[in-house]
Amino acid sequence: MTETTTAPAAPTTVPAPDTPRAAPPRRRRRRVSPGRVLAWAVMILLLLVTLFPFYWMLRTALSSNGALYANSTSLLPVDFSWGGFERVFGLQSTEEAIAQGGSGASIDFWLYLRNSVVVATVVTACQVFFSAMAAYAFSRLRWRGRNVVFGVFLLSLMVPVIFTLLPNFLLVRELGLVDTLLGIMLPGLFMTPFAIFFLRQFFMNVSTEVEEAALIDGASKVRVFFAIIIPMSVGPIATISILTYIGSWNDYFWPLMVSYTDDSRVLTVALGNFNAQTPQTGPDWAGLMAATLVAALPMILLFLVFARRIVNSIGFSGIK
Amino acid sequence: MHHARRITASLAAALAAGTLALAGCAGPGTAAASEDSVVLDYWLWDANQLPAYQRCADEFERRNPDLQVRISQYGWNDYWRKLTAGFVAGAGPDVFTDHLTQYPGFAQRGLLRDLNTLEATADVDYGEFQEGLPDLWVGQDGSQYGMPKDFDTVALFYDTNAVTEAGLSPEDLQDLDWNPEDGGSFEKVIAHLTVDENGVRGDEEGFDPDRVAVYGLASNGSGGMSGQTTWSWLAGATGWTFTDKDVWGTEYHFDDPRVQASLKWLFGLVEKGYMAPYEEVGTEPNPQQALGSGRAAISANGSWMLGTYANLEGVDLGIAPPPSGPVGHPVSMYNGLADSISAQSPDPEEAARWVAFLGSDDCQRIVGEAGVVFPARPAGTEAAVEAFEERGLDASVFTDLVEKKQTFFFPVTEEFGAIDALMTPMMDEIYIGDRDVSTLTEVNEQVNGLLR
Amino acid sequence: MASPSVRAPGRVGRRDDTRLALLFILPASIGLVAFYFWPLVRGIWLSFTSWDLLSPAEFVGLENYRAMAADPVFWNAVRVTLLYVVINIGLQTVVALVIAVLMQRLSRSTLLRSLVLAPYLVSNVVAALVFLWILDYQLGIGNQVLEWVGLDRIGFFTSEAWAIPTIAVVNVWRHMGYTALLIFAGLQAIPPTTYEAARVDGASEVRTFFGITLPLLRPILGLVLIISVIGSFQVFDTVAVTTNGGPVDASRVLQLYIYDKAFGQFDFGYASALSVAMLLILVVVTFFQYRMTRAGQTDLN
Repeated sequence: MTETTTAPAAPTTVPAPDTPRAAPPRRRRRRVSPGRVLAWAVMILLLLVTLFPFYWMLRTALSSNGALYANSTSLLPVDFSWGGFERVFGLQSTEEAIAQGGSGASIDFWLYLRNSVVVATVVTACQVFFSAMAAYAFSRLRWRGRNVVFGVFLLSLMVPVIFTLLPNFLLVRELGLVDTLLGIMLPGLFMTPFAIFFLRQFFMNVSTEVEEAALIDGASKVRVFFAIIIPMSVGPIATISILTYIGSWNDYFWPLMVSYTDDSRVLTVALGNFNAQTPQTGPDWAGLMAATLVAALPMILLFLVFARRIVNSIGFSGIK
Repeated sequence: MHHARRITASLAAALAAGTLALAGCAGPGTAAASEDSVVLDYWLWDANQLPAYQRCADEFERRNPDLQVRISQYGWNDYWRKLTAGFVAGAGPDVFTDHLTQYPGFAQRGLLRDLNTLEATADVDYGEFQEGLPDLWVGQDGSQYGMPKDFDTVALFYDTNAVTEAGLSPEDLQDLDWNPEDGGSFEKVIAHLTVDENGVRGDEEGFDPDRVAVYGLASNGSGGMSGQTTWSWLAGATGWTFTDKDVWGTEYHFDDPRVQASLKWLFGLVEKGYMAPYEEVGTEPNPQQALGSGRAAISANGSWMLGTYANLEGVDLGIAPPPSGPVGHPVSMYNGLADSISAQSPDPEEAARWVAFLGSDDCQRIVGEAGVVFPARPAGTEAAVEAFEERGLDASVFTDLVEKKQTFFFPVTEEFGAIDALMTPMMDEIYIGDRDVSTLTEVNEQVNGLLR
Repeated sequence: MASPSVRAPGRVGRRDDTRLALLFILPASIGLVAFYFWPLVRGIWLSFTSWDLLSPAEFVGLENYRAMAADPVFWNAVRVTLLYVVINIGLQTVVALVIAVLMQRLSRSTLLRSLVLAPYLVSNVVAALVFLWILDYQLGIGNQVLEWVGLDRIGFFTSEAWAIPTIAVVNVWRHMGYTALLIFAGLQAIPPTTYEAARVDGASEVRTFFGITLPLLRPILGLVLIISVIGSFQVFDTVAVTTNGGPVDASRVLQLYIYDKAFGQFDFGYASALSVAMLLILVVVTFFQYRMTRAGQTDLN
């Protein structure tokens, strides 16, 4: 990917004596220092470590299942086949799928994709918004008991997941929301302590000068939240949104609990079928890896779109 | 600042879309079918069997227009998690596929219906099933907690190519004998099929047990407390039994010298170089992979794995019975699944009609024709054997063991979960070589303590 | 609901915002009470009972806790979990910090950032499966590479010494990009002017990093550490998929033991007591972390 031409005022390596905004990307003209070469070498090594398993997934996804064991260390796909991907999209007949070591379960890919998108979008939007509201109250508003209440929220950070699982399931059932998308979304809809904590950290850093100026101009604190705090924290908000979206997208155990039929089945749960079927049978490796890649693809696309926004909005948090 | 505004705007749009979605899905909830038809939820874990059971369900619905069957399939681990959570919340299935390791725990907690008390299943003649299977599902109180659906036994899978290459013929593997002292002809074959990296066979001069290329016997891990495909067929062939009774025993027999000698022989193969060390297989052993990659020559495994082994590329699959032991014949563990009715089902009588159909010749023949497992009724078993034959697989080894009564039961006792949790790490230690088999005598005390 | 405050200049920000604040934390509070505290209270209550699903929970006082104190598997689990957390967090923090700083210094490329985050897109279970395969003793490409280089094969998931470090590294792989991105966000919040001041003073790269970047990063780094440690303590999926607690008990972490007690043995009372123990450990660890990193405060203003 090329450098962005409209260089934002992000902190860069430029040792500019003047203000950062005025600093052009002068480093292109700098000679290549040994330190920079080393740094790139480390980065590339880290990238290799990061990406090799993905190559291995792709190589496996494009292999045919039965031939994998006999050629386990071949660097290229073994007995090249689209079978894994065909099974993910439900394009193979049941008999064909089983003959290739796959599962006989039918897959309505687009329905599950839609369910996943709805769940992840709603959860992210609501959770980040509500968490930002709370974070604002904990960072910029003055009220008695603020620290005590924040401490209480902080405590919830430490509640082990295994504690909340069954009680939350009971609650969702009592609300009659078993097997609905709302039931899947509900526990994450209001907040996560992490999002509040994270955003509060950034809200605290927003300069008070701009806020005070607005207040003097007669703006209300509600307006300060919408017109100053949020716009100035777009970077962190986008970051937490993306992480929330991915987390919600990848969530497996909770949707598995709540979902019973296709009405509420999300992609991860549907693709869980590619995992081990019986205690001793191995998984359909080609299908499983294809499924993983397919499930991750929308996230990668989303990130490519949004990461640019994070990059381009970083300048705002630097404003003094 | 317009970037920021655009994000705020898109957030707002997303929020609005979300609210709509909320309103949308809060409406109908679970779609109920027509007013007067009862929907039965049926769960199973094996996706390979799903198509066959779907055909059964279609046939059942055709005969019973007032009932609908909704089948859900979840992978093995998910299955039990979801089932347990379902029981806690009262949101589980009406009928589900049950396993011998799990049902004692369920029965003990009153989570299962006694099939004898329900109209449709009260008069089932359990004598029509493969012998012994229905007994596995009779609780200590005499209740019938499961309708047998299939059975499995254990045999030896091998690659014919590897065997002929070693100068042996498949016939040589059909009548092996074994004893825990010198391993009999079984050990000789395993030794001969083992090859080190220099091409020297395990029974030849100069064999290097530390640098083995092909192991004679594929490892299937330590086997935990049941050793179903690992050591049960060895220990069973000495005449040893798990407990004092076929089912619902109250005392385990891990203090018996016969089981200890069997374990000692099996895990002693590691030192001889005939079986892979623990380090190579770990807690997630994959013997079909070992056979498929040519890493091992013989792999003992269950009949449910037939399809998986048959699909291994480059392997000309052969099947032989386990070696006959001191009792004079081979012995396999005999295990089977059944369908149970949840005590929480709001429609137990309707559920029983479905269970009765699942246990009928009609449904079991459909399942048998799919050629995945051996159904529990002889008609279904025959259909399965034929289906395997059509694919060029001789499955008679598995059924012969049952016909000749060369089997013993999977241990059905209370506290299976706790016992397994206690035993598994210890069996691992024995395999690794950190624990002597004689210590099982003390462990047996602890195990029996859990039952008291 | 316009805030009643804020007109008088000079008293700006000193007004009491209680009503507005309560409104702002209302949605979050609903989530807090319904999905965190109610389950918590219920779990604590269950830890004083013997409950096996259907039969009603029976109060047994401190019985579960007494059993726990005398349970060698529990203490082993605590030890194993701590070992895991130390390796996992230590490695992850260093690697993530390196990635974040390199990203900031080398390139603002969106693609680079996406690639670094890629492992987080894969679920724990799949990550574990992939590595189980890559690191298989006999057939894994990892061990094959070791052999090509001339080293001995390693039983990554199958030897008692390697199991926990290997699992820790698998999770570092999955989370390092995530952590790096959080740290990166923190780096971006440091005003560029601070760096420039250091440059003018002629400070070296290394001194700038330890003297300026790290201290200013402290609030975010502290937060990231707290979050990762809490998550790290609850490791489960990776272990369940790769070793299931073995070899012997070498990787039987606390969460796995809790899970096995609850779902494998239906001993929900005891499992709850174990969960309370985990909660207490987390509270203590977090408290000290919070204190040490002063994560709640900021140096920037």
